Amino acid sequence: FTDSPVLTGASNPIQSPLVCQPSPSLSKFFADNGSTNPASDFFDSFTTSSFISVSNPNAESPTVAAPPERQLSSSGTTMPNQTHQDVTTPIFFGAPPMEGPTGASQPGLAEATPPFSKLQAVFSGSDDPFATALSMSEVDRRYDAWLPSEETRKVLISVATQQFNPMHVDKECITMPGLKFDNLQGDAVKDLMLRFLGDQAAAKRQVLTASSVEQSFLGLKQLISTKNWRAAVDLTGRLLTAHGQGYGKSGQPTSHTTDSLQLWFVRLALLTKLSLFQNAELEFEPFGNLDQPDLYYEYYPVIYPGRRGSMVPFSMRVLHAEMTQYLGRPQESLDRLHSMRSVCQKILDNLEEGLAEDGSMMNLTQENRQEVSICELWSCVCTLVSSIAQDFVLAVATYQSLVQYEPEQTVQLLSAIGRIFLQIGDIKTAEKHFLDVEKICQTKADGQPLHTAVMMNRAFLYLSQNNYAEAHTCFTNILKCDPKNPVANNNAAVCLLYLGRLKESLRQLESLVQQDPALYLHESVLFNLTTMYELESSRSTQKKQALLEAVACREGDSFNTQCLKLV
Amino acid sequence: MDVNQAKQEHLLALKVMRLTKPTLFTNMPVTSEDRDLPGDLFSMLMKSDPSTIKGAEMVMLGEMLTLPQNFGNIFLGETFSSYISVHNDSNQVVKDILVKADLQTSSQRLNLSTSNSSVSELKPECCIDDVIHHEVKEIGTHILVCAVSYTTQSGEKLYFRKFFKFQVLKPLDVKTKFYNAETDEVFLEAQIQNITTSPMFMEKVSLEPSLMYSVTELNMVTSEEEGESTFGKMSYLQPMDTRQYLYCLKPKAEFAEKAGVIKGVTVIGKLDIVWKTNLGERGRLQTSQLQRMAPGYGDIRLTLESVPDTVNLEEPFDITCKITNCSERTMDLVLEMCNTRSVHWCGVSGRQLGKLSPSASMSLPLKLLTSAQGLQSVSGLRLTDTFLKRTYEYDDIAQVCVVCPFLSPES
Repeated sequence: FTDSPVLTGASNPIQSPLVCQPSPSLSKFFADNGSTNPASDFFDSFTTSSFISVSNPNAESPTVAAPPERQLSSSGTTMPNQTHQDVTTPIFFGAPPMEGPTGASQPGLAEATPPFSKLQAVFSGSDDPFATALSMSEVDRRYDAWLPSEETRKVLISVATQQFNPMHVDKECITMPGLKFDNLQGDAVKDLMLRFLGDQAAAKRQVLTASSVEQSFLGLKQLISTKNWRAAVDLTGRLLTAHGQGYGKSGQPTSHTTDSLQLWFVRLALLTKLSLFQNAELEFEPFGNLDQPDLYYEYYPVIYPGRRGSMVPFSMRVLHAEMTQYLGRPQESLDRLHSMRSVCQKILDNLEEGLAEDGSMMNLTQENRQEVSICELWSCVCTLVSSIAQDFVLAVATYQSLVQYEPEQTVQLLSAIGRIFLQIGDIKTAEKHFLDVEKICQTKADGQPLHTAVMMNRAFLYLSQNNYAEAHTCFTNILKCDPKNPVANNNAAVCLLYLGRLKESLRQLESLVQQDPALYLHESVLFNLTTMYELESSRSTQKKQALLEAVACREGDSFNTQCLKLV
Repeated sequence: MDVNQAKQEHLLALKVMRLTKPTLFTNMPVTSEDRDLPGDLFSMLMKSDPSTIKGAEMVMLGEMLTLPQNFGNIFLGETFSSYISVHNDSNQVVKDILVKADLQTSSQRLNLSTSNSSVSELKPECCIDDVIHHEVKEIGTHILVCAVSYTTQSGEKLYFRKFFKFQVLKPLDVKTKFYNAETDEVFLEAQIQNITTSPMFMEKVSLEPSLMYSVTELNMVTSEEEGESTFGKMSYLQPMDTRQYLYCLKPKAEFAEKAGVIKGVTVIGKLDIVWKTNLGERGRLQTSQLQRMAPGYGDIRLTLESVPDTVNLEEPFDITCKITNCSERTMDLVLEMCNTRSVHWCGVSGRQLGKLSPSASMSLPLKLLTSAQGLQSVSGLRLTDTFLKRTYEYDDIAQVCVVCPFLSPES
């Protein structure tokens, strides 16, 4: 089931940003004060709040005829089945899948269902919703497991034993984030259009903005999948403002929930993908090293009764560690990753000894999820210690150790190691690794993808030996079996330039871009194309403008307009 | 860098682009777990991105090649490659186009064009392409001069030139140091520093000896089949890193006599350095002839032809000395051996060695033993020239490591 978000059409006015509602405690609804708060309100709030319910993170609420005081979101959700074995798939109401990035906005299609049937659908695995909730908490425990530092542990213990006085908390050890900048600078593509193609053309540009989607996680996912990441960052800003952590709120005491941290994670991840590293670092700063007591579930015994572990998504920790590399401090990244690794290792050790993740006694039956997290961690280490870190010895060693964890990626990893050596200039060692790849490919029967890998490596080797003609032959060989391979097509054109065949190269790349823009309107290809336009003649601006027009129809606001070389 | 000379509107346009090696496109992956808010969105986006590695989308170093985006730096010893394109921007056919590319340095002017004949005609929107290569052999200012001459349809002959200036920088800093061994060998330590802005892989650093010497390279550790460099896995030099290479030079047999009496400056050889950077971009340099100042030997030079490294305590061992007469006159030599606290000579002290003519040498086998463990210095030889009644003292002529072969007093 793919994510099938629904745009609210003209008929449904856009809801103002929702206030975060963590699941309320039962006592609010089952009090002795009469029937002013019926129990159904409890379930309503459980299922109709647009923020993810605690017990079932993936339950999206249905559209319901909204009672005036409640804000609703529409339905349609994704349920990744593979990891949640003990959670039954909820029934959801899908809208037809999204057409194109700035495609036709679709009218709201979700059907209205009464909240109780939705609740039963979610918990349909068992008659008792609370037993199911308890069994799901084991999955939570597994995912949220983290080992706090000594100081943090002390604070959490004092919270648990109710000796904790929030008035006396040391401001140094709580997390007080806030937006550090207001709005991202809109759509660079549109700006270029205004400048080079005129107002009329620019007006035709249709792209999703923070205001044109639902103000919810759903809307956010839409913006992400359509590559309108700047708009997505803006939307996270709005949602975080609703949560009380908006612009200017940094340094003010606040509280955190699973949802609010997910919002921060998405915001910071998108800033990273947009290469806005300084902005990301500024906003990461209040989170310290992601170990502060108020980032743990135990800090909120009223809101998350009985739940333990860290609210910080593991991927946010990885992002935090990677951040410093992009800011020119790769050693710090390595330090952070190593300390993460030691926590993961400690958790793994605990699990292997039959204890729970945090070392306490427990009954465990299922597979060690931490093993997966270590693999993820190491794959991130690899992405980290590549050329940017410039510590090639460590990069290569890490890639080599990763082969153990991800044997199905052996060919890709060994080829990547070979490429690292080519970047250093050590052609001989690169060749050795490429030969290893060839040996592996010979033993396997699977034809085309392996043949491509071997040819690709050979081509790079020829390139490094200044033999552009042979490199070109290798790339064209790949195209015989895989004519749509974008890398081979692009690289073949690049070789032609080095062989003095500018016109041919240009024609090849141009036709690729025209025939298959989905594949070829990519930053890397466009850099090559515009570079060659500039080499060809002084009148390259026209051709670049044509590229701009093509880009304007397809690409979201996160497109890197530098590759058009218009400014 | 680009100085346009002509003010007149020309029918042809000349464009130049330096062709350094392309670079590999890198991605910025972000992980997220299925449970997180983005779910698998990020990983789906990465999978559909044409520049990621299929099946291993988290690998940053992709396979897409990107053309060079700026001129970059150029260093002595590297090859300057450039694309030269002459494009007919007009709507008329142009005839007799001659494109010439010269490289002007402070000392010379070189023609770099691959063809020196003119092209008979060039239609509109067509171009004449050339890729030139030149191994840069000088530091400092270089000017690429491109000249285009052509004839218009109406028969008018036109001409224009473009100048492209660039600086060639020094890539390596090389320092040398000589060590004179007790034998006739000379050790050369070459210290090489990478003063460029990118890492360098040192493919070859070899010493080409002068006529008099043969060289042994001491930078490989040889095990069964394959040798490994002494630098191990650190096969590359980061910017500003330094590395030392060691060579041993021995005078060739036919020059052995002459080597003994060398005075002043001698030429040892030159270093030949080849390095590679991104995607095999090659550089090559040779130093000038390295010179060594011979140490003063005085009238008589005593060297060692053979001496063991390690000897047993209180066991006699053999050494062979070589005595060379470095003076202008014949000598009549007498050898005396004096014992030290730890060195005890065996044999006859005070014997006559015989006459030694100028520049001649003689071999002197001797036996001695040591009475102390550890690193001991061989001292105590005295040579007296009876003609002039002059005595020359030779102490600390060699070191030996003295070990005790016995494990316990009983054995």
